[in-house]
Amino acid sequence: MKKILSILALSVCSVMSAQAAVVVIGAPGAGDISASDAKKLFLGKGSKSAVVYELDEGNATRSEFHSAVTGKSDSQLKAFWSKQVFTGKGNPPATVSSASAMKSAVASNPNAIGYIDEADVDASVKVILKP
Amino acid sequence: MRFNLKALPLAISVAMLPAYAAAEDTSDEKIAKLEQQVQSLQTAQTESLTERFSFNGFMTGAYISSDNNTGYAGATTSANFDDGSKFGLQGTFAITDQTQAVMQLMMKGSNDWEVEAEWAYISHRFENGLQARAGKLRVPLFMYSDYLDVGYAQPFVRPPSEVYDAVPFTSYTGADASYDIEFDDSTLTIQAFGGQSEDSGIDIGNVIGANVNWTDLTWTLRAVYGQATLDGTVTRQTAVDGGIDPSTGLPISIDVTVDILDIDDAKGTFVGLGGSYDNGSFLAIAEWTRLEIDEEYPDSDAGYLTLGYRIDAFTPYVTASYFETKDNDVRTNPVHAAIFNGERTAYSAGVRWDAMDNLALKFDVTHATDFGDTSGGFDTNIGQEFDDTTVYTVQFDVVF
Repeated sequence: MKKILSILALSVCSVMSAQAAVVVIGAPGAGDISASDAKKLFLGKGSKSAVVYELDEGNATRSEFHSAVTGKSDSQLKAFWSKQVFTGKGNPPATVSSASAMKSAVASNPNAIGYIDEADVDASVKVILKP
Repeated sequence: MRFNLKALPLAISVAMLPAYAAAEDTSDEKIAKLEQQVQSLQTAQTESLTERFSFNGFMTGAYISSDNNTGYAGATTSANFDDGSKFGLQGTFAITDQTQAVMQLMMKGSNDWEVEAEWAYISHRFENGLQARAGKLRVPLFMYSDYLDVGYAQPFVRPPSEVYDAVPFTSYTGADASYDIEFDDSTLTIQAFGGQSEDSGIDIGNVIGANVNWTDLTWTLRAVYGQATLDGTVTRQTAVDGGIDPSTGLPISIDVTVDILDIDDAKGTFVGLGGSYDNGSFLAIAEWTRLEIDEEYPDSDAGYLTLGYRIDAFTPYVTASYFETKDNDVRTNPVHAAIFNGERTAYSAGVRWDAMDNLALKFDVTHATDFGDTSGGFDTNIGQEFDDTTVYTVQFDVVF
């Protein structure tokens, strides 16, 4: 019963979060990027100087971001990074635990890129892509 | 020293504070933000010390069983937990931002769980983007060569053996260089490799090759060429009747190694084409390969097509694959013909279930048939006792 309740709660949550949009953020001085650049960066390709931040695994905003930008589900993303890790091609981006941690990480580095829910955007960061 | 380390993030945060002055925050919000800043800088600092070393692993546990003893994927009629099971550990040490040392240790049930280094190399990324690696590396002939043993990274229980078993060696000692060319929506990677290897007493020298890989992260297209010189003697283990043991009255069987074929600096070439499509729900993978080796060692063509469709955590898939030796007329010696001539077609149906966060369960039924007038390519079926085989696999794949 508890399981059913939590599944119900989760599905309600996901319906609710579907209404709020995820946005890609950079430092205040950062320029806009394209959706394909964002997809590349979050899959470890493209510019090597970019510093990419992800939210922790299991975070609903993370799942929402990836379904919009990289088109990968949580397990597909995990399979993708296991390919990269076990071939020495790259490691998954550093993770942060919350929207505020994401904002301070991105705000302090002009090369940083991350994502948060649009509702959490403030003046410390700039929205550089609305996927 | 410790004091300095602790004070540094604070000093940096204080120095950064004016950047936030523009935002009209209450002092409470400012303090919260400052605390966050200190925390993230402190985290960054610990990371810089501990993140140089990373440790990852993967594991596959497989149960394989077959309706007969043809020997597909090592399967027999009795339950087998060894042949498909493996365990790998990888350590990566970032020497600098551009240079890293990687070591991957593998233990496989099919290899009596002996520890072997599948990867052991140093890689360096140059300023111009060229990445060079030297050490023990995987021979990058197939689409799944680089993560052959990482079942979690594959949709199927195993890459189709019709294609993947044609080349008996999977790693080499040498060096490679790769370069990424970035387009607006896609990436082209060019890789060149060279070195040497060894398999079952055969020296595989002058390994040299190149591949090109283009991907827009939905479509992937790939072409590869490789060549090598083979030198040595092909041997086979065989059981010889040793008469009757007088103490037990049971027949004795003696394992002997028999020389089958001398290979004297034979040149081998390999050509492969591959493509895949993955839009997040629909999945298609295809590869075609051609192997040609001088003289009697078999030349073969092989290929497969896998189609899959994701429904939430379940990915059902089907695969059709084939392999065929192309130079049967060269082998006039009937023993060589019996051992090396081979052909078969295999059909698989299975499902991958992403049951947990880093665990996938897979179920697969593979039916191999159309052996023609050959063993089907199985050393265990040289007497052509079997015309087909059905293999059942239940497998779990984990990454950590």
